[in-house]
Amino acid sequence: MATDPTISLKIRTSLGDYLKQDPATILVTHHLRDDLGLDSMAVIELLYRIEEAFDLQIPDQDLVGLTTVGHVVNYVEKRLGKTAAAAPTKKPATPKKPTSKQKP
Amino acid sequence: MRARVVVTGLGVVSPIGIGISEFWKAALAGQSGISAITSFAPFAMDGYRSKVAGQVRDFSVERFLDSAHGERVDRYAQFALVSTKEALADSGLQMAKEDPHRVGVIVGAGMGGMVMGEREVTQLYEQQKPHRVHPNFIPTITLNSASGIIAMAYGAKGPNLTISTACSSSAHALGQALHCIREGRADVVIVVGADASITPLVFAGFCSLRALSSKFNDQPEKASRPFERSRDGFVMGEGAGTLILESASHAKKRKARIYAEVAGYAATSEAYHMVIPREDGLEVAHTMKLALADAGLTPSQVDYINAHATSTTIGDAVEAKAIRLLFKSRADKIAISATKSLIGHTLGAAGAIGGIASVLALQTGQIHPTANYEDPDPACALAGLSRSAQERRVKVALLNAFGFGSNNAAVVLKQATT
Repeated sequence: MATDPTISLKIRTSLGDYLKQDPATILVTHHLRDDLGLDSMAVIELLYRIEEAFDLQIPDQDLVGLTTVGHVVNYVEKRLGKTAAAAPTKKPATPKKPTSKQKP
Repeated sequence: MRARVVVTGLGVVSPIGIGISEFWKAALAGQSGISAITSFAPFAMDGYRSKVAGQVRDFSVERFLDSAHGERVDRYAQFALVSTKEALADSGLQMAKEDPHRVGVIVGAGMGGMVMGEREVTQLYEQQKPHRVHPNFIPTITLNSASGIIAMAYGAKGPNLTISTACSSSAHALGQALHCIREGRADVVIVVGADASITPLVFAGFCSLRALSSKFNDQPEKASRPFERSRDGFVMGEGAGTLILESASHAKKRKARIYAEVAGYAATSEAYHMVIPREDGLEVAHTMKLALADAGLTPSQVDYINAHATSTTIGDAVEAKAIRLLFKSRADKIAISATKSLIGHTLGAAGAIGGIASVLALQTGQIHPTANYEDPDPACALAGLSRSAQERRVKVALLNAFGFGSNNAAVVLKQATT
């Protein structure tokens, strides 16, 4: 199932800006942590940009499972009602608990 | 031989009680001080992911202080003045009989005067009238406003310092006071931890960090659940704690009641990440080990740990891992409790209030419950944690505190030997 190219591009552009990397080199199959090197704080910053870009509020509970670029694209599409289908990813999601890693 | 340092007075302002007696009674009963936030009006809480906090209810400084010192300082410094008044009275210290230059004040504060800070910034940007910024704005928001006003209130002319290391601030204040007295630079140090920044901007900032619990907005008293399987972030709290530290010889000379000895301290940096702890727990274990060595004690002598335990997913797991690393098989024999399960995370006040709970455990042999420890997370299960109050002989207590900016503190307290 194809993802919405506009949404995908916007998200990859956000990531590219953050990582100082050409968005074209960022793939939907990329794992945010293992492939792109984002730690939990960086993921939170990315989602902050995405909330702004798409005028969304992403509740903490929805962070579970947003581990690849594709997951994030799917999630945003679903929230915007663009498609109900999940986009294919080569790496299946390993549900994690990316929230509240802080130690204040 | 270096000077021994003892605790001779305690005072507290907390979401479960103002005053040691009220606080300790509520703590032993496992009473929660967490409730829905109602004070952000005109802001609706809809935009906030988390909607609960450990708030000090019905506080007015006039109720507690006769002097005018509380009138021109922010809420956190008012808390600090009130807890200090109690602690000084408790210690029996009479400033008229002291050399004022030998009495210091060391405050730990993470955020400072944010109530006025936010109000003035908002007003300036909305009204664009720079000449209407309050003349007291700068002295109020400056982080040493609490240590300054306490010195003025009591004429304490010794070292006057503020330690700001986020959530470990007042654990470091305890440690720095220990050094100060050991080195002979003061006979008495008033150690305070204080923060009161449950304000619309600061709270929104912690929400944006996704550091706060958001799953239990409808059951506020359930939201702070350190080491428990369903924990999902910390709950912000506010408050202040004061401990009067003095050299053992000074305390004996004035026949003061001695609660406990502050025996050791360690400060380290993980040099790792602004907000994420190292997941292997090595640096936390190292910090606890250094503090015990400073106290001349070994891990086998520790009876109780007042854990940092904020109720975040990773933070609690790392602390539990570090406890296992250092204490090995003894880890399950040590009583452990998380004060934040009752009052939330009081940020800069957390070390002092945890220190008070540790001193009271040493003194009474009672360890307060860890609220909501219903379903132990296997990633951080420790046999010494309990939802109920525990009675144990506590000779040595360890206080942990970790902060943003990759910093760790550990303080060792022990029963005072005469």
